Amino acid sequence: MGEENLPTSVVQFAQLDTLLNLCRANSLWPMTFGLACCAIEMMCTGGSRYDISRFGAEVFRPSPRQSDVMIVAGTVNKKLELAVRTLYDQMPEPKWVIAMGNCAISGGPFKVKVNYNVIEGVDKLFPVDVYIPGCPPRPEALLEGIMTLEEKITGKRRWPRVQAA
Amino acid sequence: MNVPVHLQPDETFVLNLGPQHPATHGVLRVKLTMDGEYIVRAEPVLGYIHRMHEKMAESGTFAQFMPNTARMDYLHALAFNHGWALVVEKAAGIEVPERAEYIRVITVELNRIASHLLWWAAFLLDLGGFTPLLYAFDDREQIVDLLERVTGSRLTYCYMRFGGVYNDIDDEFITGTRAFITRLRSRLPRIYHDLVTHNIILIKRIKDIGIISAEQCRRYGATGPVARGSGISYDIRKNEPYSVYPEFDFDIPVFPEGDSMARYMVRMHEIEQSLRIIEQALDKLPGGAVMGKAPKMLKPEAGYYYSAVETARGSLGHRLVCDGDKNPYKLKLRSPTFSNLSLYGEVAEGMLLADALAFMGSLDLVIPEIDR
Amino acid sequence: MDLTETTHMALAVLFPGDAVAPAPVLTDDAAEPIPFGVSVLDPKRTGTCLEVYCRPDQVVEAARILNDEGFFLESIAGVDWLESGQLEALYDYNRLGGASCRVLVRARVERHEPELPTITDVFPSADWHERETFDFYGIRFTGHPNLIRILLPEDADFHPLRKDYLP
Repeated sequence: MGEENLPTSVVQFAQLDTLLNLCRANSLWPMTFGLACCAIEMMCTGGSRYDISRFGAEVFRPSPRQSDVMIVAGTVNKKLELAVRTLYDQMPEPKWVIAMGNCAISGGPFKVKVNYNVIEGVDKLFPVDVYIPGCPPRPEALLEGIMTLEEKITGKRRWPRVQAA
Repeated sequence: MNVPVHLQPDETFVLNLGPQHPATHGVLRVKLTMDGEYIVRAEPVLGYIHRMHEKMAESGTFAQFMPNTARMDYLHALAFNHGWALVVEKAAGIEVPERAEYIRVITVELNRIASHLLWWAAFLLDLGGFTPLLYAFDDREQIVDLLERVTGSRLTYCYMRFGGVYNDIDDEFITGTRAFITRLRSRLPRIYHDLVTHNIILIKRIKDIGIISAEQCRRYGATGPVARGSGISYDIRKNEPYSVYPEFDFDIPVFPEGDSMARYMVRMHEIEQSLRIIEQALDKLPGGAVMGKAPKMLKPEAGYYYSAVETARGSLGHRLVCDGDKNPYKLKLRSPTFSNLSLYGEVAEGMLLADALAFMGSLDLVIPEIDR
Repeated sequence: MDLTETTHMALAVLFPGDAVAPAPVLTDDAAEPIPFGVSVLDPKRTGTCLEVYCRPDQVVEAARILNDEGFFLESIAGVDWLESGQLEALYDYNRLGGASCRVLVRARVERHEPELPTITDVFPSADWHERETFDFYGIRFTGHPNLIRILLPEDADFHPLRKDYLP
């Protein structure tokens, strides 16, 4: 990860952008967009034990126009496809997308031969920055995903990595 | 109370609620025709999370459908596990050891409490209160820890097998569950009722709102807390006893008012009844195996089978058609909230928009279970 | 007289004469037509107390009888019998409260012309169930007030739960 991963804008102010990105990374505003099972784990992450506000990302906004990261927590099907695209388009730049759970990554358990209705991964609709595998991922995994996104925005990791015992 | 609507046809407008709206608990969409703040017509639009469960059931074996069951009603996944296990065991004639049935009941009831706690948190969040969520999730995490210990997952359980359960419970689970029962019993009156149930803001917000009559419940096939909040004593655990429920002494809370407050009270009392069931089940827990004899490849006799269980949201039915092959020929899931939601349009007519959202919350919707 | 017997008596009106109660037959063989009638089943084995197999035009009358007896509609399911070229609709009824008595009403229609009368006039809950069966199997319920897609997108042109459907 380095400078080349900074969100691009037409005019670059090197020092100012670094500062702005630091601010953005430390106060991500996710959009409330619970689709299915993963949404419950997203709620748990916002709840009392996992407490996402420790990482500054607790301001869940119901409106896409006020948020800068979209956590796609669940399955997207053909009927919902248009709505999800519209929501993504309505978010102001700079914006990021986290694909939470196997359904959002690839269709997960619904990627089957008889699949007639499920979109096999939201990256078919718009660019995804962080993928969090799991069915559903644990809250710790979502927190790790948020830290990974911070790392992508600022270029360095703010929190130490947990070492396997 | 419904306020009469004086409708001028050219004065109405259409309001689109959802599919992305925080109060629809997922991706339900309601097309509302409004006269000012009053609803003239409410029409739920479904299918935004239709995930082909019934087609997948036909294309796999019986055992391969077990993980799908947990992904329909993820809040009460174990009841869906239980329902699927029961209908296949009925069709294939598989015996389940007594200990396994006890463990099933204990875990299903723990999961029911977790579901009601989450409903409580989300319902109050809809009404504008954030603090209750922090209390409810604190208690819910205790249940999730207990269930994770025995089932291996936090939310989408795939714990039951045809002929039993896949993992036995240990002493630590039993002591942990007993400690949790004591903890929740002391917290229910102090936190849940003192902070919220007796709160005048809540009472003003949901009392006499969204009144459903017993006859409406019958015409629309509403079950679960919705029917019990309208004075109908209907609970599959009592009316068509299955598993080992007849062994336990518990009551079915029924409130006759039919408003959102009645449904709220039914669920709060059900938490206490579930605690009673778990306590008795732990006391009487028999020894023995947790897995009976079941053939690896099931081929039930051709025929039509039905089995129902009571989930946190109402009666879940499985209509299974077998043709003697290793796949189910047809599986129809009678999901409780599909029917419970179908009366929304009739009841929401003439309501204030804000009340209609409080009413929607009191129905306890889980959208993937409606759409399947 | 218990609930099963009373309901049996009430439903027997559908089949005048001494209609023999058929054994629960499941067949995908058109050469062997199933006789119409009411049969008593073992609820422990099948989960159903009574099974009615009737002509397509009798489903409304059956619904009316069960409505008068205080039943409610649990669900409507479709089944595709590909080999015999028929579609079947399964109506599940039960009592809301009190003693339980589950009744299954079955009716078959030809696959190339699947039409059944609607029972929405009797049970408003049938509205969504019939729309779902239309969505999945393409059975048209004549007289339904709003027979449009319910779970699939509005512009879908297929009926996915038919056995010969391939995505």
